[in-house]
Amino acid sequence: MTVRQLGEQVINQIAAGEVIERPASVIKELVENAVDADATSIEIVTAAGGKTLMRVSDDGDGMRQGDLELAIRRHCTSKITDDDLFDIRTLGFRGEALPSIGSVARLAIQTRHRDEAHAWAIAVEGGREKPVVPAARTRGTQVEVRDLFFATPARLKFLKSDRAESAAITEIIKRIALAYPQVGFSLSGADRQPQNWPAARGAEPHLARISQILGQDFVDNAMEIDAEREGVRLTGFAGLPTHHRGNAQHQFFFVNGRPVKDKLLLSGLRGAYADVLARDRHPVVVLFIDLDPGQVDVNVHPAKADVRFRDSQLVRGLLVGAIKHALVQSGHRSSTSNAAVALDAIRAQTSGHSPTGTGAYASEASSHASPSGGYQPARGYAPAAEARQWSPEIFRPLETAAAPAAGFAEELQSSYEGPNAFADLVRPSADARANDVPLEREKTDLPLGAARAQVHETYIIAQTDDGVVIVDQHAAHERLVYERLKEALARKDVARQILLIPEIVDLPEEDAARLAERAEDLEKVGLSLEAFGPGAIAVRETPAILGDMDIKGMVRNLADELAEWDTADGLKEKLDHVAATMACHGSVRAGRRMRPEEMDALLRDMEATPLSGQCNHGRPTWVELKLSDIEKLFGRK
Amino acid sequence: MKATLERTDLLKSLTHVHRVVERRNTIPILSNVLLRSDGGSLNLKATDLDLEIVETVPAMVELPGATTVPAHMFYDIVRKLPDGSQVVLETTSDNSTLEIRAGRSRFTLQMLPETDFPDLTAGEFSHGFPLTAGDIRKLIDTTQFAISTEETRYYLNGIYLHTVDAGNGQQFRAVATDGHRLAQAEVPAPSGASGMPGIIVPRKTVGEIQKLLEDPEANVQIELSETKIRITTGSIILTSKLIDGTFPDYGRVIPQGNDKEMRVDRDEFKEAVDRVSTISSERGRAVKLSLTEGRMVLTVNNPDSGSATEEVAVEYDAEPLEIGFNSRYLLDIANQLSSDTALFRLADSGSPTLIQDNTVDDCLFVLMPMRV
Repeated sequence: MTVRQLGEQVINQIAAGEVIERPASVIKELVENAVDADATSIEIVTAAGGKTLMRVSDDGDGMRQGDLELAIRRHCTSKITDDDLFDIRTLGFRGEALPSIGSVARLAIQTRHRDEAHAWAIAVEGGREKPVVPAARTRGTQVEVRDLFFATPARLKFLKSDRAESAAITEIIKRIALAYPQVGFSLSGADRQPQNWPAARGAEPHLARISQILGQDFVDNAMEIDAEREGVRLTGFAGLPTHHRGNAQHQFFFVNGRPVKDKLLLSGLRGAYADVLARDRHPVVVLFIDLDPGQVDVNVHPAKADVRFRDSQLVRGLLVGAIKHALVQSGHRSSTSNAAVALDAIRAQTSGHSPTGTGAYASEASSHASPSGGYQPARGYAPAAEARQWSPEIFRPLETAAAPAAGFAEELQSSYEGPNAFADLVRPSADARANDVPLEREKTDLPLGAARAQVHETYIIAQTDDGVVIVDQHAAHERLVYERLKEALARKDVARQILLIPEIVDLPEEDAARLAERAEDLEKVGLSLEAFGPGAIAVRETPAILGDMDIKGMVRNLADELAEWDTADGLKEKLDHVAATMACHGSVRAGRRMRPEEMDALLRDMEATPLSGQCNHGRPTWVELKLSDIEKLFGRK
Repeated sequence: MKATLERTDLLKSLTHVHRVVERRNTIPILSNVLLRSDGGSLNLKATDLDLEIVETVPAMVELPGATTVPAHMFYDIVRKLPDGSQVVLETTSDNSTLEIRAGRSRFTLQMLPETDFPDLTAGEFSHGFPLTAGDIRKLIDTTQFAISTEETRYYLNGIYLHTVDAGNGQQFRAVATDGHRLAQAEVPAPSGASGMPGIIVPRKTVGEIQKLLEDPEANVQIELSETKIRITTGSIILTSKLIDGTFPDYGRVIPQGNDKEMRVDRDEFKEAVDRVSTISSERGRAVKLSLTEGRMVLTVNNPDSGSATEEVAVEYDAEPLEIGFNSRYLLDIANQLSSDTALFRLADSGSPTLIQDNTVDDCLFVLMPMRV
């Protein structure tokens, strides 16, 4: 056999194998070209999941006649100026996309540069170029790709169903659209629901675009992130821990405007949320990392989904730090979706015949309110006025049951006791005992309000200036105890029990080396180990709090974690787990009757403790129903 | 089968054998106890496939035979029967249930065929020797606390029994360790023990043996092979599988050159440790011992709740030393010391410490310090 240089067509097909994997990768390349051409509106049309037709039209710069001829040749690009691969400011730069597409599909381009009198068109079919001809087009470029992979039928067989390919295209466009809110996107075709995301303007274009794509729900439950360290800027939005999903599909990262799926970033995210989310739940985030292009290498893979940071620990530290900071800051924001869910549930049930506890309680309360004069329908429904009338007047008597004017407490009590009022209900165990502490009105100013009652010996009902807060007493107290224990653990070094016989753990050589490298970090969390020849680790000391532990298993897990994520948080998590178990045993259980003073103390504690808004598994510890929401339930608004 | 026997005798035996039976079983027959009446006695046998106890009680047998019934239920029934009553056990004619009669009570229990009952006793024993119950109890009591509960290091989940040639003749020695501390006890080896293989007796078996040996003067026959051990005392025969593993070379971790000697009153020390450790709330509670000439100060610090110190007079004349220990481990060991004065041999704050009785040296403990 003789060695020979492959033909241009074959070379392009091989290159296409890397760049063009499925219709979505064609769309990605074409849309990125449009973005790089400074388009303000991009229109995408697909058919049969992009297999038969993909058309991307933009209103960008367009190309001159000469450029157009070159554009379909391999390694031709307008995006790198002085052959410097380390100063890349555009999405594309490899000059591979168009020739690759042209070699495996029927490619047709129409483009008009503003200097040209009319548009020009060119077509490539399975690698065969056709001459450039004049065409009619006002501005911008339109690229049409038909019959993808007709030239490489083997590839065609590996494509998924039209529906799956179509969904992959939507996903790609979502990612790009999130990064470029100032560009309008429209997506249509016979195989899909049309989507239209107009160019977002105004003060918060990113927020507007996020709301278009991920829904207002995420925006309402997101914390703004804005942090900078040593020239690396992190901006964007991260979901509250109570707003989580079952998979990591909804985590969008952008490095210098380029959508990436990077392990380092994903692991950082996992670390940042480790404490507030169960392991199998995933937060929703849209985060933008901007840094000097020289600090990041995007030329890792043709698809450019991976990136390499020059200082990866800096980026990770920034990410983890910024999110944790935001989590602490937003400790008191209850996920709005919880309130919405609760309201929906109430609404669904109150529309039927049997009132729920909450509904009945509220209506009971309002009927008792009338005689005391607090609520006067004739005066109209101005929300502010109503809020004032609603809050203190109704509930005050509960605190001062002895006062002659009150009567409400007794009536409330008797209605609980009475056979008719809740005849068809489980009698609520509201603790309506009189409170001898005089009412402190200002408590309702506090975020979690003033505790009013305990129902079912599990939930605390508190009143705020503009709503009602329901607290799950066990979840809340457990989190408080956990935070306190964790703080205590962090304050001192982890006590280490020295082993009588060092435990030798055999590991693959590279795992052992990685662990030995991290020996110093591990010692801080109580595990002292050292290399024991190549391919083995000798463990000399273990965290005393873990007692008689499975050392081999622990070390292997840590090695796997290091290989996979380059972190060694597993041990820390294990220690926190001990703290969590202790917290569970040491906290007030559901079913314990609490004195009003205890309830208030719990609420104040929650306000003072960061991250008290959710339990260790991401469930909320409290839900707030706004007065306006409650009013809606009664059709007052 | 038909047999009549004293409730007291039956209850005593059932108390012994029913403990072996696990509460939950995937193999139904393992929940049962085997009853076999023969000659002038009733034989009871229970097993969990690793451990088997057989006990013989006197009975008036009218009809020899064998059957199996649920062990825990049978035990509960006999336990609740009036004291001093005579119990009649009789299989029904269709051979599917066992009838238990005492006074005016009458129970029938579903049976499972005795032929399905597993038998552990097969196999030869290579060594056999007698030992007093008191000696065995001493070996077990002294070392049991140090058995590891961590199942991945299964070879530490028992007591290692073997013989050693020491200066005072051949010794029969028991060792247990969980990787943090080690306990060792020995008695003079009986002649039949020489040449025996080193064996690891599982934790459950150790516990059962301990419960069977009530009278310290009683003679116990021990038989063993590489895979099994059998203990016979009175009418009870316990047979158990051994842990198939290699016990680590524990001799290496027993420090030889610890030159700092400290003597302290055992009870005073124990109480002091117990008192100061009250302040620590978490597991792995560390107590720091600060030794200077003639005195020891115990300190426990808990940033959440406070601190505790106590001073204990000791015999110590080496240079000052600070060393941390898990207080529970210290208490465990102090509880096993038999003489009034405990002897600590220390090296430094990162090396194993040897703890012994001041006068007798038939048991010793090694404890690894903590870094706090």
